[in-house]
Amino acid sequence: MIRFDQVTKTYPGHPHAALDQVSVDVEKGEFVFLVGSSGSGKSTFLRLVLREYRPTSGRVYVAGKEINRLASWKVPRLRREIGTVFQDFRLLTNKTVSENVAFALQVIGKSRSDIATLVPETLEMVGLESKGERMPDELSGGEQQRVAIARAFVNRPMILIADEPTGNLDPTTSVGIMKLLDRINRTGTTVIMATHDAGIVDQMRKRVIELEDGRVVRDQVQGVYGIQN
Amino acid sequence: MQLRYVFSELGQGLRRNLSMHLAVVLTLFVSLTLVGLGVLFNQQATKAAEHWGSQLQITVFLCRADDGNPACAGEVTDAQRSEIETVVQENPEVADYHFESKEVAFEKVKELLGPERFEGPNPAATAEDLPESMWIELEDPEEYRGITSAVEGLDGVSQVRDMRQVIAPIIGSINMLQWVALGTAGFLVFAALLLVGNTIRLAAFARRKEIGIMRLVGASTLYIALPFLLEALVTALIGVLLAAGALAAFMYFGIEQRGNDQLKFMPWIGMEEYVVALGAVALLGPLLTVIPTLVLTRKYLKV
Repeated sequence: MIRFDQVTKTYPGHPHAALDQVSVDVEKGEFVFLVGSSGSGKSTFLRLVLREYRPTSGRVYVAGKEINRLASWKVPRLRREIGTVFQDFRLLTNKTVSENVAFALQVIGKSRSDIATLVPETLEMVGLESKGERMPDELSGGEQQRVAIARAFVNRPMILIADEPTGNLDPTTSVGIMKLLDRINRTGTTVIMATHDAGIVDQMRKRVIELEDGRVVRDQVQGVYGIQN
Repeated sequence: MQLRYVFSELGQGLRRNLSMHLAVVLTLFVSLTLVGLGVLFNQQATKAAEHWGSQLQITVFLCRADDGNPACAGEVTDAQRSEIETVVQENPEVADYHFESKEVAFEKVKELLGPERFEGPNPAATAEDLPESMWIELEDPEEYRGITSAVEGLDGVSQVRDMRQVIAPIIGSINMLQWVALGTAGFLVFAALLLVGNTIRLAAFARRKEIGIMRLVGASTLYIALPFLLEALVTALIGVLLAAGALAAFMYFGIEQRGNDQLKFMPWIGMEEYVVALGAVALLGPLLTVIPTLVLTRKYLKV
């Protein structure tokens, strides 16, 4: 589903590569943790998948397409296949929960009837069916993140990217979010999650890719956060 | 494409950034009005030049008995008159000519100023007060200098008048008005471009969160830029309408009422020329807002 082939990314004005000769293969339906200290290249990795950047060298494939060659007018179509969740939720505070989720469908031109079925369905899936008319700031952090996940998933993307989705949440709430991401993964969606949360990684026992200074230093099936001998 | 979002964004954008949009509309209004005026003046100058140019005649006034010109030694003699006629006849630039007697001139004056002043025991003037004249039509209206200098020094000639000299200052003034209007418009157009740019920058900043999300979920660039483009079109439309109104007012109060009613010696621009100016304004207005919008949305809304 996602393939990095000898990918190097150097930012202008920075001598060190943010990603250095990274080769990774993520299969369809996999759940992958991306771990590593700040500045190790996790965010660059995710942004390359989203085609926010092009690699300096090497190739990035998403859903069978080499996306560094993708014309910029085709980028939106690629992004419709990828849902994204962030640490800071990024909800629109002037819209209700339902409107926030519906927004993702409206702006890609989905029909009203599609929106009318998909939005309540997805809100139910994330456990917020009763809170559709609330405003985001009336919700707890965990609930807000559920809204963000609903928005990322409402278009049923093939890939879900989560950049530290539990970074702002307490451990109990985080567990709930992880359960939700696990459920989404079980529907066949590939999930890539960058995180610093050792407890979660250890508990989930999924594939772990560890980055250090832009290089892959560990790629382990059913791994844990720290190095395991 | 679902346009509900686009239109609600449009309304919201216009309200949110009201003062900036107002600034854009007013600057556009004034600059477009000036551009329109420039176009109108240009057409007026052309029209005046064409009018006088096409029927350009040189009038040679011959000496009267008590002529004010010291070169005249008395009323023009027959010998002098035929000498002048020979010079005119032999000049290749002359297409046609005819003499106008004092009596004909007197009739013309009477008609122009009203006959009652020239009748009765104490008339304002008699035929004797008016000069005899010669009206010369030229082959090419531009070539008036040769014949003028050929006739000017002859005995019996009091004064040579060509219309070109009379109207040159008028056409000059109109041309100057045109350049003043277009020059000022140039500065204001530049200001309008900067204002449009700033407005978009502000709007993009105010909407950065929405725009970020739209990009992430895969909204097309056009869809993201559409509210900006529509805002640009709406402000342009208002600016154009205001300018059209101002130009219409100028046509009515400046041309219809003053020019046509009081200054009849010259042909004035009308509806046709107004439509041309309006066309220029209607084309320029949207271009001034849409082009910077396209350029800047490419910069700020790049996927």
